[in-house]
Amino acid sequence: MRVALFITCLADQFFAEAGVAAVRLLRALGVEVDFPEGQTCCGQPAFNAGHWEEARPLALRTLKVFQEAEYVVLPSGSCASMVKNHYPELLPGNKEALDLAERTYELSAFLVHVLGVERLGEGLRGRKVAYHHGCHALRELGVREEPLLLLRNAGAELLPWEAAEECCGFGGLFSVKLPEVSLAMADRKAATLPQAEVLTSTDAGCLLHLAGRLQKKGINLRVAPLATLLWEAYAG
Amino acid sequence: MRAKARLYPQEAARLLREKPGVRQAVTGATLHFDRNRLKAYAEVPIEEWRNRAKAVKEHVLSHLDQYLELAEKRLRENGVQVHYAEEPEDAHRLLREIVRRHGVKRAVKAKSMLTEELGVNPLLASLGVEVYETDLGEYLIQLLGEPPSHIVGPAIHLSLEGIQKLFHERFGTPLDAAPEALAQVARKVLREAFLTAELGISGANFLVAETGTLALMENEGNIRLSTSLPKVHVAFVGIEKLLPRFQDLALFLPLTARAATGQRLSTFVSLIQGPAQAGEEGPKEVHVVFVDHGRTALLADPEAWETLRCLRCGACLNACPVYRQTGGHPYGYVYSGPIGAVLDPGLLSLEEAYPLPYASTLCGACLEACPVKIPIPKLLLTWRHRAVAEGLSPAWEKAALAAFRKVMESPALYRLFSKALRGLPPPQDLLPLLRAWTEGRGPLKPSPKPFHALWKELKEEDGR
Amino acid sequence: MDARTRILNRVHRALEGRPKALLPEHPHLPFPEDPIPLFLRRLAENGAEGHLLSPKEAKALLDELAQGLPGVAFGRGVPPSFREGLSELPPEEAPLGVSQALFAVAETGTVALTSADGRKAQLLPPTHLVLVEAEKVYPTLLAAFQELKALPPALGLHSGPSKSADIGQVMVKGVHGPGRLIVAVLT
Repeated sequence: MRVALFITCLADQFFAEAGVAAVRLLRALGVEVDFPEGQTCCGQPAFNAGHWEEARPLALRTLKVFQEAEYVVLPSGSCASMVKNHYPELLPGNKEALDLAERTYELSAFLVHVLGVERLGEGLRGRKVAYHHGCHALRELGVREEPLLLLRNAGAELLPWEAAEECCGFGGLFSVKLPEVSLAMADRKAATLPQAEVLTSTDAGCLLHLAGRLQKKGINLRVAPLATLLWEAYAG
Repeated sequence: MRAKARLYPQEAARLLREKPGVRQAVTGATLHFDRNRLKAYAEVPIEEWRNRAKAVKEHVLSHLDQYLELAEKRLRENGVQVHYAEEPEDAHRLLREIVRRHGVKRAVKAKSMLTEELGVNPLLASLGVEVYETDLGEYLIQLLGEPPSHIVGPAIHLSLEGIQKLFHERFGTPLDAAPEALAQVARKVLREAFLTAELGISGANFLVAETGTLALMENEGNIRLSTSLPKVHVAFVGIEKLLPRFQDLALFLPLTARAATGQRLSTFVSLIQGPAQAGEEGPKEVHVVFVDHGRTALLADPEAWETLRCLRCGACLNACPVYRQTGGHPYGYVYSGPIGAVLDPGLLSLEEAYPLPYASTLCGACLEACPVKIPIPKLLLTWRHRAVAEGLSPAWEKAALAAFRKVMESPALYRLFSKALRGLPPPQDLLPLLRAWTEGRGPLKPSPKPFHALWKELKEEDGR
Repeated sequence: MDARTRILNRVHRALEGRPKALLPEHPHLPFPEDPIPLFLRRLAENGAEGHLLSPKEAKALLDELAQGLPGVAFGRGVPPSFREGLSELPPEEAPLGVSQALFAVAETGTVALTSADGRKAQLLPPTHLVLVEAEKVYPTLLAAFQELKALPPALGLHSGPSKSADIGQVMVKGVHGPGRLIVAVLT
C-alpha cells in the first residue's frame, strides 16, 4: 500500500517532527509513503475567512498535486476536513474534489479504519496525557475515539479534562482578528488542565496557540503533536 | 433598538479588560445550562425529535403565506384583533392608539426579544406609561438601564454582589441580603404592578395556525400574570413563530424546554386562544401583531432562510466558547451568540453586522446544540464569503490573504518564504498581525528545518 | 396597499420556486408505565408535592393546609363539598388557592388549568392546591392534546412551583406565581 503524505503548511513550518514521526510510523506498519513536493497549503485560512477567491486556486492546486495518490494522509484534523468536507463546497460539481475527499484521511483515522491498527506498542506506558479534541477533527470529521484508543492502548493514562472538547480559540485568522477573545478561550483551557506530562492534539494550529499561551503564562508543559506520540508509542 | 454590532471587536476586548467578573458569571451560567441540556437530550430520542422539528419548521416556512392567512382567520374567529407591523413605527402607532383608548398609565411586560427590536419600552415611556419588566432578570437589567445579555437569562452577566449593591441603592436592603430576600422585594413591587396595570405586553414562543393559539413558556409565572390580569393584552409575534397544528406543541414545548434549560417542560405554559369569556377573569381585549422587521428579507434568502427555524431557546449561546467569554453585550444587538451572528446580518444588513459572523472559530458546538439543526457554521461561512464579496474586509486582511495566496500558489515562493521565516525579519505590513499573535502567545518558533527540507534524508532512510 | 398586503406579498414572492417541504406526523409511542405513579414522581422531581387520595382524604388535606389561614380562594370547578367549613377570600388576599384541573400529564408532571376555573386563584395565592381526577391523568402531552375537545380562552400548563435563578444563579421560589404547588389525584 502507498500513501501520499500531506504535511500541511503549519506542521511543515512549526511541527516538522510530526511529519517525520508520521512517515516512520506508516513505514513501520508496512505502508510506503510518498511526499508530492508540489504541496503547499490546502487553502483553509482563506476559505474560513470568507476569501473564497483566494482559496479556490489553492484547492485546485491541491487536487492536482494529489491526483495520483491512492490515499492521502494528514497529521491534521482541520486540513483533512477542509479537503473532505469543504472542497466540494468550494468547488461545486467538481468530480475530482469529490474523489479526493474519498481518499483523504486524518492520520489516526487512517491507522484505525484503513490499516485496522489499534495497538501500536507499549511506548507510552504510564505517560499522563491531556488530549485536546480539535473542533474540526471532532465535529466535522467525527474523529473522537481513534486518537484516544491508540494512546490508551499504548499505555497512556488519558487524564479527565473538563474542557477537553471545548474550542481552544485558535480558529485560524480569528486568533489575530479577535486576539483578546482568542486568549480568553485559551485561558479557559489552561485553567482546567489536569496535571499532565504532555498535551496533545491532531491539529498544529491548536497546539501552536495553546503552547504559546501556556508558555506566556509560565506553565511548563510539553506540547506534542499526536503523530509524534503515536511514533513514541510504537518505537518506545 | 439601534445596532452597535460594528463595535464587537473593541467592546469584547474592553469587556474582558475591564470586567473580568462578567466572563466568570457568564461561564458559570452557560456551562450550567449546557450540561443540563445534555442530560435532558440524553433522556429522549433526541435525533428523531430534532429531525422532526426541523421538518415541521421547514414545512411551515415553505408554506408561510398560507399559514399566516389561516392563523389570522382563526384568531379573528376567536375574537382576537390582528395587526401587521413591517417596521417599529407600525408597532408604535398601534400602541399609541391602545394607550390613548384605554387611558393606560401602567404596563407589565413579559420578556420578549422582539419587543426589544421594536423599541417598545422607550415608546411607552415617551407616552408617559410606567413600564415594568416582570421577568426577574429583565427587571434587574431594567433597573440598571442595560440591554439583555442572553436570550433566556438576560441577567446572567450580573454577579450576586452586583445585584445586592443595586437593591441596596434602590430599595435600602442590606448589602449582604440573601437572594431570597431580594426576590421578595422584587415580587412585592411587581405584584403591585400586575394588579394595577391596564396593559400586558408579551411576545410569543409559538403561534398555532390551526387553532389560533398563542403559546408562551416561562418558569416564574410573570407571563401568566401579565397576560391574565390587565384588561388589554398585546402579543407581538414574529411571522416565523408559526406552527401548523395544535399537536405540534406536544413536540415543540418539551423540545424547547430541554434545549433551553434542560427541563422536561417549562414551569408555566400559557396557551391563549383569545379574550376572556363573559363572567371570566382575564383580558377583555387581546391583540396579536404579526411582525416582519426583516424577516421576509431573510425568508427570501435561498441560504439564510434556514435561520428562521430558530426557537430562541439559547442553546447555542450556552454551547458557544466565544460567547462564554463575554456574554451578549459586545454583540451590540438583541440577538447575540451564534444565532445572533447569523440572524443579525439578515435582519439588519451585513455592513451593520459585519464583525459578528467573524465572532466564531467555526467550532460547531452550536450546531450540535440546536434543537432544529440550523447549520450555523455553514451560515457563518456564507456570510463571511458575502462580506468579502461586498468589499467589507479591512485592508490589512485583504492584503495579507492576497500575499498568502501568492506564496501558496507557487512551491518555489513557498520554499523561499520558508527560508525567510528562519532568517529575515518579517515584512512591515505583516507586523501588526504578528504583534497580535505574539503579544499573548510569545514568539513564533518554527522548527529548525521545515518538513519538506527533511524529506530528502527521510527518503534515504528508507533505503531508496 | 396596507402593511398586511405588503407583508403577505413579500412572503409569497420569497417562497416562489422554493421547494415545498412535507409535514411529518407525530408518532404515538406505546407507553408501558402506569401514568399515575410516574406523574407523582415527576411532580416531586419538579419540586411540587403529589398525592393519590380519595375525595375524603383530599378534603382532609385541604382542611389541614387551610388551618390557621384567614381564608381560601376557590376555582369555579372545585366541588362544593370541598368548600365546607372554610372561609372564602378573594385570590388577591387568600394565602391558599384551590383549583380543579382539566387534565394532567404524567411524563412532564403537569396539571392543565382552564381560565373557566378562574386564573387569579391559580396565580396569586402563594400556595396552590390542584385537584385532578385519576382518569384525567394522561401519559404524554400528545395523548392529552388528542383528547382535548375545546380550548378555553386560556389554558395554563403548570408543572411545579414558580422559580427563578436570575439572582446570582441561586434558585428562589415563589416569584411570581405560587411558590408551593400541591396536587391531589382523586381516585
